[in-house]
Amino acid sequence: MSRSRRFKPEADDGHLDLVPLIDCVFLILLFFMLVGRISYDQRNEQITVPPTKTALKMIENKDWTRVVINVFGSTAAGKIPRNSIAWNADKPWVSSGRDEQAFVGYQKLRDKLDLVYDSSRKFDDPNGTKVPGGGILQLPYVIVEVRADADTEYRVVQEIQMLLVDSVNPRPDQSGASMQPKVPQKPFVNLEFTTRKPGEK
Amino acid sequence: MSSDSDDTIEKGRIDLVPMIDCIMLLLLFFMLTTKFTSEEKSISSILPTNKGTSPAKPDKVVEPPQMVQIVITPAGLPMMNTEREYQTWYDQNVGVGQGIIPAAELRMGGNPATIKLENRKLSQRDNPNLAGEVENIHAFIHEALKRYEIPGKPRKEQSEIVVSCFSALSWRYALIAYDAARSYEVKQGAIFDAKDPNSLTNARAVSFAPPRVRNYSVKEMGAELFELHRLK
Repeated sequence: MSRSRRFKPEADDGHLDLVPLIDCVFLILLFFMLVGRISYDQRNEQITVPPTKTALKMIENKDWTRVVINVFGSTAAGKIPRNSIAWNADKPWVSSGRDEQAFVGYQKLRDKLDLVYDSSRKFDDPNGTKVPGGGILQLPYVIVEVRADADTEYRVVQEIQMLLVDSVNPRPDQSGASMQPKVPQKPFVNLEFTTRKPGEK
Repeated sequence: MSSDSDDTIEKGRIDLVPMIDCIMLLLLFFMLTTKFTSEEKSISSILPTNKGTSPAKPDKVVEPPQMVQIVITPAGLPMMNTEREYQTWYDQNVGVGQGIIPAAELRMGGNPATIKLENRKLSQRDNPNLAGEVENIHAFIHEALKRYEIPGKPRKEQSEIVVSCFSALSWRYALIAYDAARSYEVKQGAIFDAKDPNSLTNARAVSFAPPRVRNYSVKEMGAELFELHRLK
């Protein structure tokens, strides 16, 4: 008699004791809020970045803008071709690095970089590089994060680095056949390669 | 006359049902939107602004800077005599659009000793011993870099380290080599900048070689392999 009363004291008058339930739900809610991270669209999950040991945590600085260039690698999961480039959370475009289509892809990337350059605050190049029209080369307060999959072809990362420091049109049908870097016009020099510690999965 | 909720308040109870509804919705939102992925990190690099082709001719002869080359080429690449032979090898062994080259060889400058790098072993998804594999590559590069040390020279004046990787290989090889060179500098006394911990101070320059060909064509792979194989 006393035993059944001890276990169901509130049910007698038609009310369930919800306090334990609320306790549990609150704990689960707290767990998800603290441990989980809301998926960040700029960081496509199909990309597995290479492992390195000297990598450090990314630092967010209010004075600097960050843009992410995603480059896709292995297509085992199937949908996005290898070496495709995605600007932040945009839809990826193909840049195989092997044909005319690739150069259109690189040109598209340079066009986006130009827009970012034009809208960013700038500072004088610490190297004091002179521009042809006179004055010091202006560098933007922008960090470009190259988030390339470990299986991306190295040529794509190379080409992105070249695109960042100069404004040379990489299409072979323009500016003659020479693709040698010239004096940069709208360069981005602060670059970060996304990576992970080897022990982390 | 009075409503149910009035009754419960009168009895000293608060109606918890709306609160539970809200909490359940919040819980559902967090369960569906959160991802348990490891935090990504970064390696920073400052790209040069003063290495482009200058329109003005230099007024004196400039000595080319001393460099230590970390050369990465496809594994099993035999030494051949002409670019055409390399091109044939490339067409037969890698080919157009055949996907990822499974293995590479890394050597330091003209040193014939190599270490084999395998995609499979350096894949995070497959290999539980990844940290050990990366450590082996670091040890190989560190050991080789010791031989290029110029005694008495400050760190910043030591020969620049340049990573020259075949452009059709996977990005992971080039970045791991770059990372190994940086970690060697840290061992030699380089420190991370307090304002920007991603930057190394008191370290020599470590960089990626610029592409040998910009308007790529698979027909130029032979020329690139020919050059890389002879790089000292």
